[in-house]
Amino acid sequence: MLPTDRIRSASLERSLLGRDASIFEGGRAGPVCFPVSTEEVQGCVDAARRHNRAVVPRGAGTGLAGGAVPLEEPLVVVTTKMNRLLSVDADRRMAWVQPGMINLDLSRATAPYGLHFAPDPSSQQVCSLGGNVGTNAGGPHCLAHGVTSAHVLAVEVVLTSGEAVVLGESDGWAPGLDLRGAYVGSEGMMGITTAIAVRLTPDPPAVQTLLLAFDSVDSAAQTVSAVIADGIVPAAIEMMDNNIIRAVEEFVGAGFPTDAAAVVIVEVDGLPGGVAAEADRVAELALGLGGSVRRAADDNERALLWKGRKSAFGAIARIKPNYYLHDTVVPRTRLAEVMKQVYEIVEEHELQVMNVFHAGDGNLHPMLLFDRREPGIMPRVHAAGAAIIEASLAVGGVLSGEHGIGMEKRDFMPLMFSEADLDAQARLRRAFDPEEMANPGKVLPTGASCADVNALDKVPEGVWG
Amino acid sequence: MSAKVSLGIDPEELASCVSCGLCLPHCPTFRVTGEEWASPRGRISAMREVQDHGAAVDAAFLSSMDTCVQCRGCEPACPSGVPFGSLMEATQASLARRRWGDWRRWGFRVLGHRWLLSLLSRTLAIVQRMRLVPSKRLGLPLIPLAQERLRASGDDVWLFTGCVMDAWQRSTHAAVKRVVEATGAGISLPGAGAGCCGALSLHAGLENHARALAIRTMGALEGSAPILVDSAGCGAALKEYGELVGTPEAAAFSRRVMDVHEWLAPRLEELPGVAVRSSDAVVAVHDPCHLRHVQRAHHPVAEVLARFATVVALDDEGLCCGAGGAYAAMQPELASSIRERKLEAIERTGAQIVASANPGCTIHLANAGVVVRHPLEIVDEAIDHDG
Repeated sequence: MLPTDRIRSASLERSLLGRDASIFEGGRAGPVCFPVSTEEVQGCVDAARRHNRAVVPRGAGTGLAGGAVPLEEPLVVVTTKMNRLLSVDADRRMAWVQPGMINLDLSRATAPYGLHFAPDPSSQQVCSLGGNVGTNAGGPHCLAHGVTSAHVLAVEVVLTSGEAVVLGESDGWAPGLDLRGAYVGSEGMMGITTAIAVRLTPDPPAVQTLLLAFDSVDSAAQTVSAVIADGIVPAAIEMMDNNIIRAVEEFVGAGFPTDAAAVVIVEVDGLPGGVAAEADRVAELALGLGGSVRRAADDNERALLWKGRKSAFGAIARIKPNYYLHDTVVPRTRLAEVMKQVYEIVEEHELQVMNVFHAGDGNLHPMLLFDRREPGIMPRVHAAGAAIIEASLAVGGVLSGEHGIGMEKRDFMPLMFSEADLDAQARLRRAFDPEEMANPGKVLPTGASCADVNALDKVPEGVWG
Repeated sequence: MSAKVSLGIDPEELASCVSCGLCLPHCPTFRVTGEEWASPRGRISAMREVQDHGAAVDAAFLSSMDTCVQCRGCEPACPSGVPFGSLMEATQASLARRRWGDWRRWGFRVLGHRWLLSLLSRTLAIVQRMRLVPSKRLGLPLIPLAQERLRASGDDVWLFTGCVMDAWQRSTHAAVKRVVEATGAGISLPGAGAGCCGALSLHAGLENHARALAIRTMGALEGSAPILVDSAGCGAALKEYGELVGTPEAAAFSRRVMDVHEWLAPRLEELPGVAVRSSDAVVAVHDPCHLRHVQRAHHPVAEVLARFATVVALDDEGLCCGAGGAYAAMQPELASSIRERKLEAIERTGAQIVASANPGCTIHLANAGVVVRHPLEIVDEAIDHDG
């Protein structure tokens, strides 16, 4: 078991770990453990079992769907002290890491080999790789390279039985069912990740980043579709609307045009000749649709543009102290239409919204801005959120692109899945965790028949704040 | 649960954190512990627990607050611009009112009296030589037995000399003075009234004492000449007198304050040529937190040095070294864990010499065996003073 200085029970710490970066407040941790090895995680799980408590894994606490919010005082296993790079095999372009390692630290550590970890969530400077596995995280550069699942070769998992198993194969494809594939994105409900074999991606020989500015959201969205329809698969296509442009520009001073209705950041990478040709073509398409084009002159300018994009969600307090960040995905061709609806919904509920998102794969991130202290605001926030989700699903979209379901979208699951679908997912989960001891109360609605889709009150009292 | 304690924090400032967590990797105590209570986001949540929800000011809360280095590395990292330093200073001020026994309450008073500090320093220097104090464990440098006398040379600029730095590292002031004079500028020195800038008191929550020191310092540096500071911590404090004292005079005073490298960078052409290029040795530039995160004026140091030496930057994004004024003495374990990371970053550069524009960092790093110089000491040795 763990030495006592890595087990905490002080009231303050249990309440600090009661939340992550999502809208949820009011969770409360039971005992908090900071293991440093697989064996210690096994010890934590055994202790939880002996004391009949659930176990909830937690990395950096930057999740946006409440996945790490502890319900009913479970034992919380924090992986931040398991942050070592275990081994790097540059020839095979892979590494074994512990789950608490920070995403960006991995890419920094492998930079001398000319390799990096491709999934780059906006929170990559702080989020943990274990959390990336849990949510099957995406990021701007996942458009061309694929999300986390495509970059995880194998995972070592401590199951709720206390047994440690390796799913997948770090040096090739594992025989049999793809249990690794089932595990990545399971949001802590199938066990606790204790080591990850990650695939590393060679740094591109050339990169060009373009900042396209438009005087309407519509023409920005059309440009995104036009680029993809042209056969170009940029490394990233990101869109920001006027509200967010102004907030981030105040922070980074990257020269974002604060009078533009929307900007699109397009990054193309690859061999120098191809990159130049693709960048020219993207610029041509943007100009044809009424946009203006600025090309990042050097790495500093490029870094500044990305800093603006990636810090967007944290810049909110310049306008309001609370945000509710959504994560629906819609078909790319319906982007403009759904965004228009989002603006209408927000207006109807008298809220403010900012849009910043992965336009290339249609992954919307409307952020509702509000001040929790304002009386009667929370029902409006939830009603607007529900309407945005419904509008996205109505055009053939899905609930979550990359943040996960967690608690946030749990009760919307029946909008997407039939009872039989949900039951199949519950049975898959129970194959790993028969007693539903790992991160209970997340992702899957309670009870087999969840017809009541509006039942936000099923989330434990107080959690919605 | 105890009675509700107000920490006296401005409610709007306290509400301004959205808990996104982007500050976490920029916090030295979170970096070495991985624990939420030791992060800026966690500390703000803890302040809210106390001020907004009536949680007790208990040992866990005190430890969360007192382990903060107040490096303010979280501020430039925060997309929402949360004024963390101000939240922490307000909290420390409320806590200080409850801590009558704190040695800092009387200890820091010494810093305001030059003669007393000088007397105590000389005594300490003698006792050190008799090997009667464990200097390293206390985080102390070897204090000189005798100090050279600095003389004013004109009235173009002031050189702020401060308290501990003047008593323990006056040779640095002397080097800085020679470099500034080499540009042709004449230097005024503050009279006996000026001593401590008040930074240490402010960080310990002793706001009134800090304010009194600020007013005295302002009185000793009159006129309109620029005030040059060669200690990043003092420079940051002087630049924030506008907020601390809250008068238009104080704000005008703060606008005159410059880190000496900020002043020097546009005047490099006026310096004489290089006599000795000490620069075969590679110099790693350590950015003091209060220069980089608070004054946001760390670039001129490398700019000035690059002319006289081969300069390399550290790759740790300006993460604190753990010195933090009196922090290394108050929280020795955390301070040395934090320093370990800095030592690794220094080692990765392969540099033999580290340049630091803050005396606290210099002492803290030198205690770990690193060769640390003030940037202008390196410049002073390199330039041809006769040329």
